[in-house]
Amino acid sequence: MSLEGIFGEGVDRIGGEPIGARMARRAPIRHIDFSLLLATVLLALYGAAMIYTATAVKLERAGGDPNAFVTRQSLYILAGSVFMVLLVLFDYRHLKSFAPVVYGIMTILLIAVLTPLGEVRNGTQGWFDFGFFDVQPAELAKVVAIVAAGVYLGERKGDVRWTDVGMTLAIVGVPAVLIFVQPDLGTMMVFVAFTAGMLLIGGARLRHFAVLALTALVAVLAVFQAGLLKEYQIERLTSFLDPNPDIRTVGYNLTQSKIAIGSGGMRGKGIRSDDTQTSLDFVPEQHTDFIFTAVGEQLGFIGSATLLGLFALLIWRALRIAAMSRDMFGTLLAAGIASMWAFQVFLNVGMTMGIMPITGVPLPFMSYGGSSMVANFIAVGLLMNVHMRRFLRS
Amino acid sequence: MVSGFSNGPTGERGGGIDRMLLRLAVLGLLVIVSFVALFSRLWFLQVLASEDYNQLARENRVRLVYSEPRRGRILDRNGEVLVQNRQTLAVTINKQVIDDEDELRPVLRRLAKELGVKKRELEENLNDTTVSPYKPVAVAYDVPKKAVMRILANGEDFPGVGIEKLPIREYPQGDVLAHILGYVGSISEEDLEDPYFAEANPPYEAGDVVGKSGVERAYDRWLRGTPSIHRIIVDSAGRVVHSEKVQDEQPGHDLVLAIDAKVQKVTEAALESGIDAARSAGYEAPDGAVFVMHPSTGEVVASASFPDYDPALLADGISQKEYRALIGGDIEHSKMLNRPIQAQLPPGSVFKVVTAGAAITNGLIGPDDLLSCHPTFIYGADRRAFNNWTSVDMGSMALARSLEVSCDTYYYQLGAWLEDRWGASNGDGSERFQAYMRKAGFGSTTGIDISGEAAGRVPDWEWCNEIYKATDGALCPDGWLPGYTVNMSIGQGDLLVTPAQMAVTYAAVLNGGKIIEPRVALRAERDAEVKRRFETKTRRRLPLDQHVWDEMREGLELVVAGADGTARAAFSGFPLDRVRVAGKTGTAQIGSVDSGKNVAWFVSYAPAEDPQYVVAVYLNRAGHGGESAGPVARQIFEGIFGLDQSTDVSLSQDGSR
Repeated sequence: MSLEGIFGEGVDRIGGEPIGARMARRAPIRHIDFSLLLATVLLALYGAAMIYTATAVKLERAGGDPNAFVTRQSLYILAGSVFMVLLVLFDYRHLKSFAPVVYGIMTILLIAVLTPLGEVRNGTQGWFDFGFFDVQPAELAKVVAIVAAGVYLGERKGDVRWTDVGMTLAIVGVPAVLIFVQPDLGTMMVFVAFTAGMLLIGGARLRHFAVLALTALVAVLAVFQAGLLKEYQIERLTSFLDPNPDIRTVGYNLTQSKIAIGSGGMRGKGIRSDDTQTSLDFVPEQHTDFIFTAVGEQLGFIGSATLLGLFALLIWRALRIAAMSRDMFGTLLAAGIASMWAFQVFLNVGMTMGIMPITGVPLPFMSYGGSSMVANFIAVGLLMNVHMRRFLRS
Repeated sequence: MVSGFSNGPTGERGGGIDRMLLRLAVLGLLVIVSFVALFSRLWFLQVLASEDYNQLARENRVRLVYSEPRRGRILDRNGEVLVQNRQTLAVTINKQVIDDEDELRPVLRRLAKELGVKKRELEENLNDTTVSPYKPVAVAYDVPKKAVMRILANGEDFPGVGIEKLPIREYPQGDVLAHILGYVGSISEEDLEDPYFAEANPPYEAGDVVGKSGVERAYDRWLRGTPSIHRIIVDSAGRVVHSEKVQDEQPGHDLVLAIDAKVQKVTEAALESGIDAARSAGYEAPDGAVFVMHPSTGEVVASASFPDYDPALLADGISQKEYRALIGGDIEHSKMLNRPIQAQLPPGSVFKVVTAGAAITNGLIGPDDLLSCHPTFIYGADRRAFNNWTSVDMGSMALARSLEVSCDTYYYQLGAWLEDRWGASNGDGSERFQAYMRKAGFGSTTGIDISGEAAGRVPDWEWCNEIYKATDGALCPDGWLPGYTVNMSIGQGDLLVTPAQMAVTYAAVLNGGKIIEPRVALRAERDAEVKRRFETKTRRRLPLDQHVWDEMREGLELVVAGADGTARAAFSGFPLDRVRVAGKTGTAQIGSVDSGKNVAWFVSYAPAEDPQYVVAVYLNRAGHGGESAGPVARQIFEGIFGLDQSTDVSLSQDGSR
């Protein structure tokens, strides 16, 4: 099979058609990627259902409203959908002109969140508390950084030199460093992942990657050596390597998480109220970062594999859109988003299964949280936009 | 390139399309690799290792909570309560809460002051290694209510200190039957390895209170009861989410013993009195025992051991110091030794029924054949002289009279013949004498239903060889000598027996040769309903004619009632017309001829025409059997049959055996 076969048709095979018919056929509204939309909607609903099963029993036991979390998550999904629709209404290339402004606002927000305006959760200063809802700027910053890097690299049209690599790193590096000092190690690692993906697609050479990898290695070692990481961060990062972690402290999450997933077996235990790890609250942060354990325990391998399948569909559609985009900017947007999702899924699911370090990265569309949900819907909107407008002239 | 406008990714990116797709393919490949990794791990966790994680999940949430069922009572054969339970207030210390020595010391000091005990005592109880370290350790029992109130009121001064209501064993009959009853305590590591505990269903667990000795131990499975089990499900914070009872509590069975509390008390009193009398007469008499058994059922009606202890002393745990005091400096002085089944002594003349049985079984003589009873018997190539206990020539006699007057010479001759035919030295080495002894129950445990029984010793050629090697030739230097067999014929030499073995052998004389297993327990009951009867077990039958047994019984009756009977003096004034007593005296010499070193035996039964009680008595280093052991048996019979005139044993004036 040719590469075109995988990523879609690169060449329009239809010729000799009347212009009007062609124009009508190329109208953006006729090119909605329904597979992408379906994957998105299914993931969001799947997530909401899992949040309900992971929280309802506990909330009820505590005398609260069993629907509290799922209600809010539904509102986030609605809000995300509104943003998604907004983002397909205009040609994505107009983003090139907004990008600097949005990037500036994002940088200001990331700085502001480090001031007393920001809230600390679980040791990370990364939230604005607006009373009715919270905003986690780092989640939105990922998409903004992808757009900004896409604008810059897109102009290079595949011809990437050291200065271009440097500029890209600077564009992405500012928010990444601000996020690192929150500290939110996981999100920073996501930045590294999608930057690498975008550099790869944007045209960086092997030698660029070689030097960058080496530099990254040195930097990581320096960070460890210089004591920039706190003890608990190091423990969390390395505990997954320890076959018998101390289950009372750092290994507790991991142990309970693996027990939940492992005990789910092939078909899962089903949604039960009194004898699952989920219903008995054995997995901390289950409705947020550890939502995958609720799937694994209750729906088993079948449910987990289905979920991973939906993610595969989502990422495949993003890569397909990258291949079909009419310009480099669109390709880079799609590739950046695909890299971001792929890495987040790998990091999050890998973390719950003990093959990746424990870092606070949400599972896209699944984890409870508004900022993450809205950012991911924006990403879907961007992909839609690129997909719908792939036949339009510049 | 199609006309003027771009209609695909080719337009803006020019000829870079292939390179672009290649780069996307690399990215796609990375995504595929990471998904393959996730799927593999998922497969491992949820399919290959799922059972393990299921187990871990169960351990996470499921807790089994056991109750402590009421331990069964122990009753005597008439329903008298020997052991029951009562609640005691105990002060406990939880080592999980407080284990630092520096913190512990002041707490113990305050506690000792509050309870009016020595701090050392508390420390010893706290450091008792036999109790589970995961449970609070009881350091003081029967604490006054006032002290409890003060400790509870000043909780901050007593971290880790708790008050618990604990069930402990109580002994309404007082200081009797300690050795047979045994005591209870927390199960130890060793206990858990013991098959009795290890193979029980439901299994025993650390922290269980179990019998440590006696019937408490032997019948623990009956006495323990079944705890109720609640299966509870807890959440991550340990809150109980769900609880269900999976097993109902069943209190322990009551155990009815063959012991007759009244006879037991009489027996203990008689033994103690006999020891006192022997001591007053100038004997050392450090220890003694009485074993009272029904001759056809093996039911143990009484069993007394001297010295003894108060069972209540061990009911609530015991300090190391107290325990050392109980054990005494050596075995001979140990109060814990259950002498009726654990003391091993040479039997002396009470063994003569066995020698006679061996000779008759093997056709050497008949019960009516006459043998001479000279003062001396000369035997062997070295013409060694074996003396009768008296220098008077008693003339010829048959079996019955040989027992009445306890003629040693009669038995020396049987011993010589047994050696000449089948002995290891002069005979063919088939050792039929020893074979008969073993048949009669010597050299092995009787199979009584409490543990710790001693087997005694039947010396033979093989034993001689082993002891020779073990002692580098100090013992048995010339191998098995013919004289050993001759000596053994009157129960002397290296032969060792227990009082219980003697009782079993005399029971065989009375029941037509059946070797039965003595047993202490009759049945297990719950709510007065019999759940199990423990049946009499007969091991084998000694192959002698009834005529032989009758002649032996005739002889044994003459021992007490005959004009020349060796126990005549001991029973002078005893109303033999109302209760016919029969028996055999024995005086086993240990080492020297000094009678102060003798083991005094009297094995007897009554009523002679329909025996109900076999009474085996020994007093160590207390003169002759008829002199000091006989009167103990006499007092027991007086008590049993309501003939009681005197409450104290007085030694018989008869110096004969």
